[in-house]
Amino acid sequence: MKKLLAVLLAALMLFAVVGCSSEPAANDGGDDQNVEGAQTGEELTKDNIKIGFIYIGDASDGGYSYTHIQGTQKMKETLGLSDDQIVEKFNITEDAACETAINELIEAGCNAIFGTSFGYDAYMLAAAEAHPEIQFFHASGTQCGQSGLENAHNYFGKIYEARYLAGIAAGLKTETNVLGYVTAMPFAECISGFTAFYLGAKSVNPDVTMKVMYTNSWADATKEAQVAQALIDAGCDVLSLHADTTSTVTTAEANGVWACGYNSDMALAAPDAVLVSAVWDWSQYLVMAVNEMLGGEAVPADYTAGLSEGFVDITEVTDVCAEGTAEAIAEAREKIESGWNVFSGPIHGVAADGTEINLAEGEEFVEPLSAPSWTYIVDGIEVIE
Amino acid sequence: MSDGIRKEPVPQESEAARAQQQEEDIRVREAIKTAELENVREHHRQAKAPLVRMVKRDDISRKKAVVIRLAAVVCALVTGGLLILALGHNPISVYAEMVVGSLGSTTVLQETIRNAIPLLITSMAVSLAFRMRFWNIGAEGQILAGAVAASYVALFLSESLGHVPSLLIMAVVAVVAGGLYGMIPAVFRAKWNTNETLFTLMLNYIALCFVKYLQNGPWRDPALNGFPKIAMFGSEARLPKLFGVNIGWIIALVLVVLVSIYLTRTKQGYEISVVGESSNTARYAGINVTKVMLRTMFISGALAGLVGFIQVSGADFTLSENTTGGVGFTAITVAWMSKLNPPVMLIVAFFIAMLTKGAGRIQTAFKIPASAANVLIGIILFFLLGCEFFINYKLVWRKKQTAGAPPKETAKEAVNNG
Repeated sequence: MKKLLAVLLAALMLFAVVGCSSEPAANDGGDDQNVEGAQTGEELTKDNIKIGFIYIGDASDGGYSYTHIQGTQKMKETLGLSDDQIVEKFNITEDAACETAINELIEAGCNAIFGTSFGYDAYMLAAAEAHPEIQFFHASGTQCGQSGLENAHNYFGKIYEARYLAGIAAGLKTETNVLGYVTAMPFAECISGFTAFYLGAKSVNPDVTMKVMYTNSWADATKEAQVAQALIDAGCDVLSLHADTTSTVTTAEANGVWACGYNSDMALAAPDAVLVSAVWDWSQYLVMAVNEMLGGEAVPADYTAGLSEGFVDITEVTDVCAEGTAEAIAEAREKIESGWNVFSGPIHGVAADGTEINLAEGEEFVEPLSAPSWTYIVDGIEVIE
Repeated sequence: MSDGIRKEPVPQESEAARAQQQEEDIRVREAIKTAELENVREHHRQAKAPLVRMVKRDDISRKKAVVIRLAAVVCALVTGGLLILALGHNPISVYAEMVVGSLGSTTVLQETIRNAIPLLITSMAVSLAFRMRFWNIGAEGQILAGAVAASYVALFLSESLGHVPSLLIMAVVAVVAGGLYGMIPAVFRAKWNTNETLFTLMLNYIALCFVKYLQNGPWRDPALNGFPKIAMFGSEARLPKLFGVNIGWIIALVLVVLVSIYLTRTKQGYEISVVGESSNTARYAGINVTKVMLRTMFISGALAGLVGFIQVSGADFTLSENTTGGVGFTAITVAWMSKLNPPVMLIVAFFIAMLTKGAGRIQTAFKIPASAANVLIGIILFFLLGCEFFINYKLVWRKKQTAGAPPKETAKEAVNNG
């Protein structure tokens, strides 16, 4: 017993000694990194810049966070950064956990922090105020870009432009003339997306209508499948989605109907059902933002871009699509890329709070910020609560 | 019939002989029994004795308990080290980084303390109930009940109330709401003898769904274009900071003292212990068990409700479905690791907060995946909780040289081995 005790104590002391001796070393490393990051005097270069990312999910969602992570990887390759220069935090909830994540990234010596979920807003802004030497970039938010702080930015893409093109494929394909849309929340980003999808379909098929159902969750594979089934049972024969899983397209395939994907190329999940997918390329902005920090061209505090810049796109028209789809999409793409607004009159819609929008021919609705604000439900769309 | 007639006179003839015979019989039977018993014992000693037996320890010296705990820490570090090695990192530098990342600078220390506050108060809350053997695993729900009540004041009244009054009112309503929510299962237990474990667990989900409803419906911030998030609180509804951490840490320290005194120095605390030992004894001693149960669960829920208030006003500045962050369940671990002893909880809660913060740090410093960091925390907690077994029980190993060894010596040796 005593021998055992002696051995254990010896082992513990060994651990303690080694631990103590290595601590200062670790500390020094940390301090060096802090100097790199915190001191404005030292110039940032491709070799010393360190960038932190905060994601609401992880790559396993195959959706929103997945595309962000892919964008990060692409940015890293484009700029030739090393793995050590990218620090990522996954599954960070929209509360004090976000603050903790930001602090940990700062401790790790990050010079720039990107947050990718809407609810990080207040925490990102507070951190930007407290750490003027670090750049903060918040996707889909509204506060940072409006704050007037030099180190706080917002960015988001005109995903509705890609949705409009996908809608064209749906409008040409539908036989029942009823589209279905599985969407997470009655949130502007979702509503502007399905409105654009419907407007695209209507541009090639004036008789088309659309049913929309909410899942009230960003990622719930079971619920998304149930909602998709309900829409199919209600007569919808082309579905699309704004949620994080592939349930909608796989349910469509199982029922022998069609679907347009979102976030990533969902033809991989349901090759017989998917017409096209609206996709993101977040690296388009990430590269610009990091380049600006390295002394490159200035980027607006609230940045948005669409099809022309390659921030959003649709995947290649598949064989499942109706004839003439590729041509119709190419034509619309040209129009949009030359400056035409997707939300152009005549449009009539009513928002949940009763406010109405009535755009006449020739009038258009321009999003004031990068984050969508369109919350009107236009005629022809039925929201099933 | 004829047999009976013939035999009848026999007992009459030799009454004494019969008694003697009977005595003899008993003696033989006892001898056989003893032999059998010996046989069985021998058998056990030789073949059938289990390799190892658990024996309850009556008492354990302080020194031995410390040794066992230290051994557990070492085992945990070594096993965790193997995991880290398997991930391709140096265990020592990873452990060092965990310590530096949770204690090494003012900012990380502040954050560690901030995370320890809800854990500490919640573990005191559940331990009040555990001490009377009332399995309150509904702290999550009670925290949320307090958080909802406090948030109502913060969102709709605080602007007109001013800073100090609104914080005080938030604290009071949170305490009352948490307390009442904690009392519901106690009422059902007292009246209808329902199972409080399931009851408190289910109430967690009701509270959580209610928060989700508020978030998606009536309390959704209209400024967010439909995004389901409750608005951030104004500055009047935010807890002030002292030394960089919200003053929840002062509340927590004061509560450690108060709860300790309450449990060990007051009549009510004594009643809780008696009810915990045996509710029949308590009844026999004239304690109103129902009253103790309701009162204690109110206090337990009230403390949890206070945590809800501290979380929304001191850390998150809003209410969300993630407000508790699992604290209500982690606190159960803290409570048991501390043997339901508030001053020890102070240490354990801080230690777990340190582990959590350290795990966050190694994710960014070494790119160790979050899940692996959580496994590491799991390994450490497993050993620390597991060692309690060796403090309460000793293992008696089967002796090898069985012949002639008196059982007493076996036990003695086992103690030495253990």
